[in-house]
Amino acid sequence: MAMAPLPITGFALCNGLGPDRRAVRDALYEGKCGLGPSPIEVPFETVVGAVRWALPELPAPLAPWSTRTARIAALLLGDLQAPLEALRRRWQPGRIAVLLGTSTAGADVTENAYRVYLAEGALPRDYDLFRHHTYGAILHVVRTLTGAEGPSWVVSTACTSSAKPLATAQRLIASGLVDAAIVGGIDTLCAMTLRGFRSLDALSPEPARPFSSERRGLNIGEGGAFLLVERAGDPVALLEGVGESSDAHHISAPDPQGEGARLAMARALADAGVPASRVDHVNAHGTGTRLNDVAEAAAIEALVGREVPVVSTKGYTGHMLGAAGATEAAIAIFALTEGFIPASLGADPVDPKIGARIAVERVHGRFARVLSNSFAFGGNNVSVLLGAPR
Amino acid sequence: MMGDVAVVGWGAYVSGYGSLADWLAGRAASEPTAPVGSMVPLRDRRRASPLSRAMADAYGAAVAEAGFDPAQVASVFGSALGEVSTMIGLLDQMWSEAGTPLSPMKFATSVHNAASGMISIANGNRGFTTSLGADYDTPAMGLLEGIGLVASRGEPVVVCCGDEPPPDDLVPGQQGWSLLSVAIALAPVERAKAGATVLSAPELVASALPAPETDVALGRNPSIGLFDLAVALERGLEGVIRLDRGAGRGYCVRLKPDRAA
Repeated sequence: MAMAPLPITGFALCNGLGPDRRAVRDALYEGKCGLGPSPIEVPFETVVGAVRWALPELPAPLAPWSTRTARIAALLLGDLQAPLEALRRRWQPGRIAVLLGTSTAGADVTENAYRVYLAEGALPRDYDLFRHHTYGAILHVVRTLTGAEGPSWVVSTACTSSAKPLATAQRLIASGLVDAAIVGGIDTLCAMTLRGFRSLDALSPEPARPFSSERRGLNIGEGGAFLLVERAGDPVALLEGVGESSDAHHISAPDPQGEGARLAMARALADAGVPASRVDHVNAHGTGTRLNDVAEAAAIEALVGREVPVVSTKGYTGHMLGAAGATEAAIAIFALTEGFIPASLGADPVDPKIGARIAVERVHGRFARVLSNSFAFGGNNVSVLLGAPR
Repeated sequence: MMGDVAVVGWGAYVSGYGSLADWLAGRAASEPTAPVGSMVPLRDRRRASPLSRAMADAYGAAVAEAGFDPAQVASVFGSALGEVSTMIGLLDQMWSEAGTPLSPMKFATSVHNAASGMISIANGNRGFTTSLGADYDTPAMGLLEGIGLVASRGEPVVVCCGDEPPPDDLVPGQQGWSLLSVAIALAPVERAKAGATVLSAPELVASALPAPETDVALGRNPSIGLFDLAVALERGLEGVIRLDRGAGRGYCVRLKPDRAA
């Protein structure tokens, strides 16, 4: 049975394009790239999508939890103030869930602390694993800043981490356990991630060009996005369906046939009871790696054909890993609410092996439904179907 | 409200013992027993951390007892710290061997969903799997995710939680814990055999049955709440089981026999 659409009553995002919703929207509209030199020293060439904006300090009681991740969360929540207040008026604190995703958690803090440990034989005195690194740390910060007291956890499935909580929110609300959920994800830049993707030969030395025949890999980005999903409320968009699948193929390489990706998209449509012919746009995972883009484009083409415009926004933000799913769901909402699809930056010339319609220029129109894809290590796939308010 | 689910199988890897049955019988291993991870093919097993192998062992035991098809069943994996030893290994390499590329395989298996990915690949399972964490509330939140899946899809789910000993560098040895992984197989009540034990969704409850006595290192493991639930199931207890030992928010489940069966 199809799930009933749920209102998304607010969203916020920040990344290499800007510190808030408006700045990110404007940069996407204008086709500005948010990638630049890495603030983290690494022994190779690359560019990153760094959050170069001032981050707010946490309130004094939360000072021991102050990390870059926590301060990005505070920035996002500041941009969500009005819809959050409305949400809190509607629902009891114990009926508001916090469902987040991250792949890095506090790895940026721990890797620096560990470097000190190796050099000096002791961790920095102010380092605290459970306040700076673990999932409970960011949950505590978000619960405290929002007053939410419901169930709360962090999904960590690498690059699908912050898309999957949208499905969890659907389930918890449908089951009657909660009335609303603060959903989203945050990842921060760290040397281990940059060097890890380099070791996989996946990192591009120049801004990523997803779907282009000249693509050379991905860039890493940081930042985050939060979305408010409620049982009822004034929607900016509708969460219509979420599909989840596994490749069952390889721990770090996608299934070249794209079957897991196709299954996730098909399941999102089935979850919503919507045929593929009603999809107006696909915000692709589109990392810019050789393997991903061809496999994903084939899966998209098999499902929605060659006319539906497809975009990867990773040429703007870099691959935000655990924050990518929520970020790209938020960007997909711009298509629904603002009537434009940003150009798939760097895609021209499109790889001739790709049959799907890659939007190499900005597209204007009325878009009623968007699929947003996220795929991850472990062969983990998620596709989110978002709709315009009716 | 979220309905009850049936518990149709469980399994565990307990450091120093091996299986849950050995722990219950007090049969400590005479030699140190490492988790095997026999569900994972040998090539991938060699790359798997002790945590991933322990999770595979617990998951395999629960799936077998429940009679689930591992190529089809949905799974929820939970861990407070996940592959923290693999991460420390990467940091050692990164900071001690300047300029040396990181091991791509170690990097790929440092993700929190390493066990989830390996087990789905090993079984050819193209269905749902997830991996989550919530510090000491991980068992409670894992069960909530699992019970939500059973309720929304009407299909079985395996919830598997585990944590490996944290590196001494990050958590001093006297505060650390021993390796543990526990898996619980859940099914819709109407699809379970008559008499199966029924479990309520986790909620905040003031009082619960006392936790079983364990050694201190086992009791500190963030996944201990799922172990306490498995012990209660094994002992046929009825009542409220707390899913942490005081360090979490106090979520509990209620165990009761399926009187309607």
